[in-house]
Amino acid sequence: MEGRHGAPTREASAARTTEASPAAPGATPTAPEGGPGLLDGLEEGVVVCDRAGVVRAANPAARALLPQLRVGEIVDVARCEVLSRAVHDRDAPASFETVVVHPDGEHHLRGRRGPVLGPVPPPPPEPRDGDTAWYLRDVTGEHARTDTLLAAQERAAFLAEAGRALHGVLHLDRTARRVVALAVPRLAAGATLVVRHDDTVTWACAELGGGRPRLGHAGTGGLARVPRLAAALTGEGAGTGDPFLAGDLTTLTGLEAPAGDVRTLAVPTTGVVDALVVLAGPRSTGSDSRSDSGSDSVDPLVLAEEEVLTSYVARAGAALAAAALHEEQAHLGAVLQESLAAPRLPATAGIAWGAAYRPARETMRVGGDFYEVVDGSERSAFLLGDVCGKGIEAAVLSGRVRQSWHALRLLEDRPGRLLPLLNTALLDAVATRDESPRFATMVLGDARPLADGTVALRLATGGHPPPLVLRANGDVEAVPVSGMLVGGLREARFGEAEVLLAPGDTCLLYSDGVVEARGPGDFFGEERLADALPRCAGAPAAVLCEHLEQTVVSWLDGHDHDDIAMLAVQAPRHAAEAPQRSEA
Amino acid sequence: MTTTSPPTDPAALRVAYLERLATSDEPGAVAVAVGALEAGADPEVVLLDVVAGAQREVGDLWAAGEWTVVQEHVATHISERVVAAVAQHAPAPAPSGLGKVAVACLDGEWHGLPARLLSEVLARHGWAVEFLGASVPAAQLATHLHRAGPDVVAISSSLPSRLPAARRMVEACRATGTPVLAGGAAFGEDGRWARAVGADGWAPDARAAAAMLAADPDGPWFADEDTGASAVPGSRDHVSAREEQAVLHARRAELVRQAAAAVRPGTAGGEVPDELADDLGHLVDFLAAAVFVDDPGLFDGFVRWVGTVTIPDGLRAEEVAPALDALAAALADSPRTVRLLRSAHGAHGGQPATVG
Repeated sequence: MEGRHGAPTREASAARTTEASPAAPGATPTAPEGGPGLLDGLEEGVVVCDRAGVVRAANPAARALLPQLRVGEIVDVARCEVLSRAVHDRDAPASFETVVVHPDGEHHLRGRRGPVLGPVPPPPPEPRDGDTAWYLRDVTGEHARTDTLLAAQERAAFLAEAGRALHGVLHLDRTARRVVALAVPRLAAGATLVVRHDDTVTWACAELGGGRPRLGHAGTGGLARVPRLAAALTGEGAGTGDPFLAGDLTTLTGLEAPAGDVRTLAVPTTGVVDALVVLAGPRSTGSDSRSDSGSDSVDPLVLAEEEVLTSYVARAGAALAAAALHEEQAHLGAVLQESLAAPRLPATAGIAWGAAYRPARETMRVGGDFYEVVDGSERSAFLLGDVCGKGIEAAVLSGRVRQSWHALRLLEDRPGRLLPLLNTALLDAVATRDESPRFATMVLGDARPLADGTVALRLATGGHPPPLVLRANGDVEAVPVSGMLVGGLREARFGEAEVLLAPGDTCLLYSDGVVEARGPGDFFGEERLADALPRCAGAPAAVLCEHLEQTVVSWLDGHDHDDIAMLAVQAPRHAAEAPQRSEA
Repeated sequence: MTTTSPPTDPAALRVAYLERLATSDEPGAVAVAVGALEAGADPEVVLLDVVAGAQREVGDLWAAGEWTVVQEHVATHISERVVAAVAQHAPAPAPSGLGKVAVACLDGEWHGLPARLLSEVLARHGWAVEFLGASVPAAQLATHLHRAGPDVVAISSSLPSRLPAARRMVEACRATGTPVLAGGAAFGEDGRWARAVGADGWAPDARAAAAMLAADPDGPWFADEDTGASAVPGSRDHVSAREEQAVLHARRAELVRQAAAAVRPGTAGGEVPDELADDLGHLVDFLAAAVFVDDPGLFDGFVRWVGTVTIPDGLRAEEVAPALDALAAALADSPRTVRLLRSAHGAHGGQPATVG
């Protein structure tokens, strides 16, 4: 508005200062000569025009609304087109609504034509000392509107809060607790939710002043004891109105039956789960109970409360269905993870094992790197490898490699022969599907503890970084062995080696994720790995792997990385040392 | 294995236990703990006063330069085996239906033992406990929250430099409405930084955590009226604190190099000793954490501590002031950070450094 209507501002402010609050009740106890007339006290602006459109009179309210209006001048100078048209055109509608540009900003203006002034104007009352004037207005509507608005705002806030609280919980028990916690005290004095998902019935119960909502589970077999509840759950409409439902609820939860009114609502869950909410002492008594009083006399407030209830139940249903679906998916993922996750290390007499595993996708805890150790009476077999790729696809392929290894090593325990068999098995598996070839690199072998405390290793490798040997005195040697990728060519050739570990010596197998870990500057690299190892001389295999993992992860400094796997085979320093227990 | 009953006095047991750790004698350490249980010692006392107490002394020995980091790791490894042995010998009772607690170390916090001990203690107080391990990424915690739906999450850390990671974990918990109880020295002596990262409460140790959870399983455990020193999330202060923390994180390697060149001019372009690089890295991390929680005391505490630690080739007390100057010069664009550096103990313009 600034600049657009600079000129009227001065006039308007001048008008306002001279005419300010002309007849505030009590403010003008006396009416001096030439004091305000009756019109001057009206909050409604009044403009009287003659046939030609010349303004004969205008009260202060009208002049405040239309600062350019002048008594004795034509109404058009007020620059309110709609008013001008109404004044000039006797056929114009008797009322109008318009927007006027005012120095304070735009104002919405509503106008109506009043009664024509009589031929003899009513005589103005003789001004007398001590007169007071009172202007009365009916504000019932305004108040009703405000109350309705506040109530609507409260309802909207409650539903928004419900949406926020339920969104993103994604866990059935917690969602159930939230659903009932939200209902009390806003919707009722007590609330019980019953949800059936697969073969489990979950109930959650909250009551006024009852503290944290209680929660319990029962098998679906338990539903036989509560036939009314079961009927209501399956959505047989009649069930929700059953007055004996509360008794069933007590049987299920073992909690005291709610006193007084009970209202049952089916929760819409799009069929993922079955759910219902039982409200004790509900704030809204439902439309069915007042149907006899005539449907045309339904209180709009009650209707609004019903809508809140419906929206709340819909939000609860969506959250429960999402949580149940998420739970199914998470269970599937967990089962898959369990079968693909890094295994526990066995306790082997005369050998200490250590391992570290850090998948690239940390949320999944599985990846393309893998290791396996199987305890044997004479020789214990081990395997560490890496299939190309990351995430679940790589993990599934690694599962195939590991299963094949578990089976094949029963038939052939010499590492130099086992690896070509594994190569063939992988190629055959790929050939039966329309898969592009997937390669793997690995080191496999076995360890045989000898009577003198040493451990003899046989190793075979394909496409994998050579294992490192850390001697008890801190010397580090790379085992000179290499070979071609596994799963690439049928005629691939692989390397073999034998290593003797004296007490305190450790052989470390690692995946390339270790040396290719890229920090803010550079790759971690073989050199840093070889430099870090001597510090671990004499440490148990498990500590060595843990220390290296820390070193590599600090090197990464929060940067993304490939899967990282390490497996350490150690001849215990003290021959008499008790066998290592498996990692808890 | 001894033939006479060992005493159940925690102090004597701790001495005997530390001796076993010093010689990396795992069977001996297990024997001390199990022997104490057989002599009638309370498992909680064995875990908290003997094992945890000895581990604190191990930490002091490392800080005094008497033990190497690998020796410390071996000792911790043995203590973890001992905790497993205690749990096996005197199993925690079945959960009493109080609820489920997930215990996790902050991302980057590798000292898993305190959290492990907390898990054992809470299990003995009737909770169903899931221990997620050392250095848990926030994403993994979020997955666990959705899958297992714990009633409470307990996060543990000893290093204040991990506080920015705590914020991410707290946000993951907030998203699912799970209350977070923080514990460990990382959150300050009175837990003030636990509040700054948005946790619902703070416990100084495992016993206190068990007592707080017993008194109120749902939290929040902080009194409401005090919102702490941290800026309100979303405010301009808060945003600029986070930005400066992110800058420090992104430039960490470069800052370490510049500070190293400043304190040991001979290393410019050459090899920086690992120990010095580690110490300067910690200096930057603590600075970032102090900026993050907006508390000069956090950084000051670390600067004082550095002066008391003896690590060969590490940052020496007299090198602290030049290191702070070098950082302040390199970070001129970050006003909060520079303010912290200038006010730090031992900085030029601050109080004189104590040498020792």
